[in-house]
Amino acid sequence: MNNKSMLLSRRAFLRGTGVALALPWFESFAAGSPSVNETPKRFVSVYHPDGVGLPLKSDPAWQDWSWFPRGGEKDFELTKVLDVLEPLRSEITIYSGLSHPAARQVHGHSNADQYLTGAPIGGDGPYKNSISLDQVYAEHAGDFTRHSSLVMSTNGGVGGPRGAQTQSFNREGRPIPAMNKPKEIFDMLFVTSGKDAAARLARSKSALDLLIDNSRSLGRQLSSRDQETLKQYLDAVRDTELKLAKAQKWIDTPIPEVDTRNLHLDAEPKEARLYFQTMYELIYLAFLSDSTRVATFQLGRENGEGPHDLLSLAVGLHGAHGLTHEVKKPDGWKNLGTYNRYQAEEFGRFAQRLKETPEPNGQGNMLDNTLAMHGSASSSFHLSRNYPIISAGGKNLGFTNGRYLKFGKGNEDNQAGAGIDTDAGWTAKVEVEELPLAKLFVTILQRLGVETDSFGGYSGTLNRV
Amino acid sequence: MKIFTTTILVILGSTCTLLAADGLETPATLEAAKELGRVKSRFLKETSADTKAVDAIPTANVDHFQASVAPLLNKSCLACHGPEKSEGRLRVDQLNPDLLTGTDVERWREVYNVISNSVMPPEDQPDYALADVDRGHIADWLSGELNKASLIRRNNKVHSSFRRLTKYEYNYALQDLLGLPFAIPNTLPPETASEDGFKNSSELLQMSAMQFETYREIGLKALKRATVTGERPQTVTYIISMQEEMNTAMSGKDPKTFDKSDESYKKQRNQPHLLNRESGTGIRFSAGKSMPQSEAVAGQTPAVSPVVLVLPRSKELKLDLDRFLPDEGIMRVRIRAGRSTMNPDEFASLRLIFSAHTSNNANFSQVVSARDIPVTEPGDNPQFIHVDIPLSDIQRNPFRKLTTTFPRRDEFLHIQNVSNATGGEERLNVLIDHIEISAPFYEQWPPKTHTDIFIASSNKGDEEIYGREVLNRFLRRVWRRPITAEEVGQFMALYAKYRPEFSTFEEAMLEVLATALATPEFLYLTQRATAEETQSPANISELELASRLSIFLWSSIPDDELLKLAEQGKLRQPNVLADQVNRMLADPRSRRFSQNFVEQWLGTDRLNSVTHVTDNSLKEAMQAEPVAFFDEVLRRNHCIMDFIHSDYVMVNERLATHYGISGVYGPHFRKMPADPHTHRGGLLTGAAILTMNSDGKDSHPLKRGVWMLKRILDDPPPPPPPNVPEVDLTNPEILKMTLKERIADHRNKSACLSCHSRIDPWGIAFENYDASGVYRTQIKDQPVDATSELFNRQTLAGMDGLKKYLLTDRQDQFARAMVHKLTAYALGRPLSFGDRADIDSLTSQLRQRNDGLVDLIHLIISSNLFNSK
Repeated sequence: MNNKSMLLSRRAFLRGTGVALALPWFESFAAGSPSVNETPKRFVSVYHPDGVGLPLKSDPAWQDWSWFPRGGEKDFELTKVLDVLEPLRSEITIYSGLSHPAARQVHGHSNADQYLTGAPIGGDGPYKNSISLDQVYAEHAGDFTRHSSLVMSTNGGVGGPRGAQTQSFNREGRPIPAMNKPKEIFDMLFVTSGKDAAARLARSKSALDLLIDNSRSLGRQLSSRDQETLKQYLDAVRDTELKLAKAQKWIDTPIPEVDTRNLHLDAEPKEARLYFQTMYELIYLAFLSDSTRVATFQLGRENGEGPHDLLSLAVGLHGAHGLTHEVKKPDGWKNLGTYNRYQAEEFGRFAQRLKETPEPNGQGNMLDNTLAMHGSASSSFHLSRNYPIISAGGKNLGFTNGRYLKFGKGNEDNQAGAGIDTDAGWTAKVEVEELPLAKLFVTILQRLGVETDSFGGYSGTLNRV
Repeated sequence: MKIFTTTILVILGSTCTLLAADGLETPATLEAAKELGRVKSRFLKETSADTKAVDAIPTANVDHFQASVAPLLNKSCLACHGPEKSEGRLRVDQLNPDLLTGTDVERWREVYNVISNSVMPPEDQPDYALADVDRGHIADWLSGELNKASLIRRNNKVHSSFRRLTKYEYNYALQDLLGLPFAIPNTLPPETASEDGFKNSSELLQMSAMQFETYREIGLKALKRATVTGERPQTVTYIISMQEEMNTAMSGKDPKTFDKSDESYKKQRNQPHLLNRESGTGIRFSAGKSMPQSEAVAGQTPAVSPVVLVLPRSKELKLDLDRFLPDEGIMRVRIRAGRSTMNPDEFASLRLIFSAHTSNNANFSQVVSARDIPVTEPGDNPQFIHVDIPLSDIQRNPFRKLTTTFPRRDEFLHIQNVSNATGGEERLNVLIDHIEISAPFYEQWPPKTHTDIFIASSNKGDEEIYGREVLNRFLRRVWRRPITAEEVGQFMALYAKYRPEFSTFEEAMLEVLATALATPEFLYLTQRATAEETQSPANISELELASRLSIFLWSSIPDDELLKLAEQGKLRQPNVLADQVNRMLADPRSRRFSQNFVEQWLGTDRLNSVTHVTDNSLKEAMQAEPVAFFDEVLRRNHCIMDFIHSDYVMVNERLATHYGISGVYGPHFRKMPADPHTHRGGLLTGAAILTMNSDGKDSHPLKRGVWMLKRILDDPPPPPPPNVPEVDLTNPEILKMTLKERIADHRNKSACLSCHSRIDPWGIAFENYDASGVYRTQIKDQPVDATSELFNRQTLAGMDGLKKYLLTDRQDQFARAMVHKLTAYALGRPLSFGDRADIDSLTSQLRQRNDGLVDLIHLIISSNLFNSK
């Protein structure tokens, strides 16, 4: 029996039953909304399945095809996998030693679900996810744009539990369907007039009118004390009216016209380069027109067998997922590295485009006001640890780039779990210490202007970022 | 005399009697204590309208301050906090010593904190040092006055019963209104509990825009679920006949059959297999893919087949239903099952699980049967059991509509045998001969939930007239009162606006009805002020009484019978009201009362955040026990003193095992005698209470004491001061102490004494129960010392001693606490000083009627409190 904890918990207990709970929890959402006229702050997360190549040092492929850079925070050296990002060196940060604790012993195939949520979804049985990073920000910034967020993936829809095809989950932990057809995304962003939305809005307005009438006539029959209570209801109705007025504003605002030269709206994943570039271009245009400030893009579900497997055709390789299984075959590490290099190249192209575009209504260039994240929920083969993460931009949000940030202990050279190509790897005991990725998420949210100190049950930010 | 009393009690059992015992010595048994305590009741002695001295409104103790406290403060504090110097802008000589009416409570609280924590006077000022005894003296007076001040603040405010429905009440109301068999998944935020622990407390039930929008969404969703459009959908039906499965299996190439009489059967019998019970021929079986049969008609009762599926304990039949189940509607699973043996000590039940495995590692499974369904009939005379599952509410395979075959599209239903069967030659297996799965399942078409809204009418052709008919009926249920033509007109105007946007009358009308479900008259419990109010407080109307009744006993809206009686002005007639209360208590909906009241009264939802009980079935059983116990007392109108102690317990198998009670089998709760060696009986020894009031490793006497004072005796201790000194665990002297000694050591600090002497002894009496409520006689090789002394010098010898003391000396307090809690719950508001006389009078009547729980409910419902605003 620990007497100290008895005393502590006694106080916590008594406090917990008293005033601390008196404030309804949902009121906190209202706090700290951004104002309309600020320079937009944007967030985009790109997820790629299957992790990256991590050969052992003893492997001749290590020199060129190990994903993580070598060297220190500032003097890091990119291998062939990421050297395509060298021109953007001062705009990017590369992270190691981060992962979600709840996922460390879960098979990499199940992990796209919780990359942005950190939820303890486990490997089987009942399934429950929680809100994703992008949606926390969308709750904060979503009111200021026509679309609160743009959710895309190569495979589309929601996928299955532990086999997600979307990166975004709402506050109840339900998946938000991802769009995967460029034409549909373009129409949604820049063509659809929102006729249905207008009709729904009109209906809601008439309903609110009736509800206000009805509560007024009830109010007249109540004591003055009870009228005070009913006033809360009327206030709730009025707040809803204000929300509708905001929605009306978007219906009345003309849809922005955009430059469509770089779009190939009929592109499919098998035309990998065109498809990839078109999807990135759609995010770019959505940001440029301030149609949304939040986007996620999932480059394929985990575990192969889908359109995303065709993306590696861009570099002349077949079966993207298969590349992770074939690392011990001739040129195996090189092939996987080449595919990862291609992913980095496209991400770099997108970042470069943001960098070259001055912020339409604000300071700096668009990249300065955007935090773009690129990563996966596994490093080496099915291993849900040491996520390979790159972030780009965000200078005006407070991010200092041009750095390779190593976190955790005992894996400074990224050799834990390196070289494996069987499932024995991910089931192995966690020997090295890594930090919760959620801490980086808290840092990101704070820099985006969300007043929070925790994400997914982890509180505190990440030092040095 | 002692012997005499005991003898009578043996004869009378646990029922309350009016028998008097005249001895005042310590009773030998708990039953004797019940008798003795009853005799002592003030409520029984006082005649008629005496005002009771119980819980008088506290007054400030200024005399004591002047005589004993002020001199101490002057001596030790005045030099720095007086006319000469007023450091911290504090002058102790100018603080108003009346904390109850004065305005210096906050300053006094600061004084209390620095005095009790020995922060002041400063250590380096020996001239002004306070002796420990003096420090204790000041702290005692201040803590007493501060406590009274907070009591006054809490109780002086008058509270209204006008409030919105709680989340759970809203759920039930929607279900009952629309006749839905299942709760609508509800994303409303959870409620905050009041200081009493109640979630239906008027002042904490807030409304926000977010909440308001959620009501509208849920309302429309529920209406869409209750109604149907278009033609009756094609029902998908799977029929799995074990006879046919056997025929198929036997017709294969080289079927691997075995015979029940073979020695080799021993190897087979632990796996699911098909068996012809007449011939003894068996064959291993795992169901392949099932396909819906277009000709099949669900709901048939074919002749019982000799061929059965033998499902041993913990084994399951996994049916691959492919991708043909519809998106929504009810899936009805009918299974004809029996038991292979009828040993009453063994039970077997079925559990249904739904799953999919869409690709490697992308899988899920969930239990979809609300509870395990017992299989009770013998295999020769199997019974049909059925389970209804709402397909749109469970996790489905999102790929089921793909035109390609990957990711995999199949969905699986598992039928699992959950049982306590043991080995032996004749084993208890579940025998199944026939399974039927059909969806969407409708009892009738259109379903009753639909025709209850879109009623049969000869005016269906005229949308204007028919619309009024639909609205009139719907609004009456929603608003729990008759509706005027003008009110219907408002909604018809809305309908007229909506109609052009929809192709059918029904679609447009549903939008209008959803709006009605967001009106304050649905969401709130109203109490209208009428023009000619003569008495104060005025009575609520009979219609409002009907709602108050149904919210109290059903956590939901009134049914037609209650509404009709209220409309006719008959509901308040005493015999009518009594009949209605009895009818409502007999209705299954009254289980919601037991569930919600007990959970909130005892705070047992705290068990949800307990992590040291990892067995979920145990945790569930712990949580269900007090509800089952309360329900038993309620069904039999037992005496409320049974909550302190009873000679019976309510247990299921899991909990009985935990308590060391043998001979209880199966998951359902039943009444068992509480033999003394079990050390159980009443609520205090329930595992839920003991477990949630522990720290995860060991018992937690302080939490248990606080719980006991708040929940059972309605005498909550004041909150602890901030910055209380920690127990110094680096001190080797302290490390050597037992828990009880450490508590005593802490308590003996003057700063802590005033509160802890009121709390700790209660909790120490629980020491024979460990962190998960298991009875123990030793802690780390030391005998348990559960003896403690209350601040009034009363000794409590463990749990028996505690119960004896409560029953002998605290019956009135407990009875009054129970009346208080139940009334606060019934009214949906905190009680105030103004309610004291009513509570006293109710307690007195309850005691005179022998403390029956049902009597208490009748008393509350016919009281002025319940009938007025």
